[in-house]
Amino acid sequence: MINFRYFLCLAVSAVIAFGAAAQSDSIVRPVTSAFSLEVGAAHLADTYLTPLKYSGWHLGIAYSRAQCMAFDSRWQLDWSVGANFDNVQNPARNATMYSADITPQIAMLRTWRNVGYKGVKVGIGPALRARAGVLYLSRNGNNPAAAKGEITLGAQGFANRRFKIGRLPVTAFYQATLPVIGAFFTPDYGQLYYEIYLGERNGLVRPAVWTQYFSLDQWAGLDLHLGGNSLRLAYHGDITSTKVNGIVYRNVRHSFAIGVVTEWLTLSSRRKSPQNISAFY
Amino acid sequence: MKHIRNILLCLLCCICCACHNIDEQPNTVNGNFELLWQLFDEHYCYFDAKGVDWRAVHDDFAPRAENCRTQRELFILCSEMLDCLRDGHVNLISSFDTYSYREWWAGYPQNFNRRVLLENYLYFSYASINGITYAVLPCNVGYIHIPSFSTPIGEGNLDNILASMAGCRALIVDVRDNGGGDLTMAERWGSRFVTERTLAGYVSHKTGPGHNDFSEPYPFYYSPQPLRYVWTKPVAVLTNRSTFSAANTFVGFMRGRENVTLVGDRTGGGSGMPISYELPVGWGVRMSAAPMLDAKGQSTEEGIVPDIRVDITDADIAAGRDAILDRAINFLTAPAQYD
Repeated sequence: MINFRYFLCLAVSAVIAFGAAAQSDSIVRPVTSAFSLEVGAAHLADTYLTPLKYSGWHLGIAYSRAQCMAFDSRWQLDWSVGANFDNVQNPARNATMYSADITPQIAMLRTWRNVGYKGVKVGIGPALRARAGVLYLSRNGNNPAAAKGEITLGAQGFANRRFKIGRLPVTAFYQATLPVIGAFFTPDYGQLYYEIYLGERNGLVRPAVWTQYFSLDQWAGLDLHLGGNSLRLAYHGDITSTKVNGIVYRNVRHSFAIGVVTEWLTLSSRRKSPQNISAFY
Repeated sequence: MKHIRNILLCLLCCICCACHNIDEQPNTVNGNFELLWQLFDEHYCYFDAKGVDWRAVHDDFAPRAENCRTQRELFILCSEMLDCLRDGHVNLISSFDTYSYREWWAGYPQNFNRRVLLENYLYFSYASINGITYAVLPCNVGYIHIPSFSTPIGEGNLDNILASMAGCRALIVDVRDNGGGDLTMAERWGSRFVTERTLAGYVSHKTGPGHNDFSEPYPFYYSPQPLRYVWTKPVAVLTNRSTFSAANTFVGFMRGRENVTLVGDRTGGGSGMPISYELPVGWGVRMSAAPMLDAKGQSTEEGIVPDIRVDITDADIAAGRDAILDRAINFLTAPAQYD
């Protein structure tokens, strides 16, 4: 009982202290959020399903948000989620494969302003990413699908520079995520999913190291600042390549993204003269 | 700036090295032939079991492939090559033809005539659900014909079928002409004949491209479903050469049951779970890739020999008799069954 009271007092004190700190904070930290739609080309191969390389079109949506941290505005928290769909065909154009995945990601970045040139901001830090998806090849009767799953820890970095084109403020940016280590799902060389269903699950999770897993996700583009919001025009490239158990999987996507970027914040009427420190600009 | 350039160069090297290579064959006569041979070489699971020297087969057929001028000529040549495997799960699928090995059933009597069955034994008075025909025969023996495991059937359907035969002294499960389908359907049926978790067989898979690269056989079990009807009285399972693949697996499981007797012809086999690939020309390829064994650890790829071997003769056909069904009824209604 004494322990319970002790922890209760500690928790209440922490909440009060945090609230007081927040209330006395004269800095506001707007959230930079971006919502993008992307269209492009996809090149897919998975030797578990077929020895051939498929190509076709890609559709995706992505949402990301970034905010400077309260403890130190040089640090910012980024998180994003993307959903992708590919429709690709074999070289003979008589078989279609579909791919869908969802990819949430969170990263904590250390940033620097005015690096090299005025208006340049760069940031880098660790990123935790998960991805879950499936490939479906309708022509295969007994092995029509391949599940994809991974969780990786890597690095995320960005650089941007604000300038003007005529009277229009513009921000050029580049952002990349490079997983370094993690784990991913794969069946064995000739293992059918029926066997997994029966319970044979040894060796299904493999370490994601560069010899057998590589992925690079890149964004490069321009944010055109139009009034309160910005129009994003960007290139999005996403490469994933794995080779394990004699199975090679490769997914290369190049797409054009168009999106809207906004900054929003919640203001308290008790705050006075807030100083604005944007996460991204 | 120099450091940034070095970092970018290192990153570029990593990207180039980390994108794993995929060997591609060109869409030529030779490219398609070589890829077909290679796919079987690396993934087919019964070379040693069937005593096939696949390298020798390549050396025999490759020179002939170079002389093929049309897709049809190549298709015929590849079909001839695949015949060496004597496997009903091997297919080559083009836009103009599908290759199948047919000798596993074509060289034997069919031993099943549905019209005779419906007319002379069921008198056209039977129930049917999801392709399954069932009825109670005049001798108070239940009869179920399962023509395929491809059509899904629910647990409630099985309850209804078996409950309608609850008063019968025995049951005949006819899987003649059942070419297989979904193994989970075979499991669903098999689970209705066990009262406890029962070893049903083993399955393994290729772990690499070598002909003997196999995983340790993994045991799998059939278990009774809670609150579902389970059949424990005598059973006869009727088989013919067209009992294949998942149906063969079902028969292999039923063979191990004490109250089950197999009647008819040897099954067609097909115990390798198939896997599909394709060729640059657009043809589909299917082959046995993951061998299954019965509960005794034995392969049933060459078929399962019944306990009571019966063929339907020409005289039987002329007289409108199903000798296999007759033999099963006689066996199940014999007093010795119930001593």
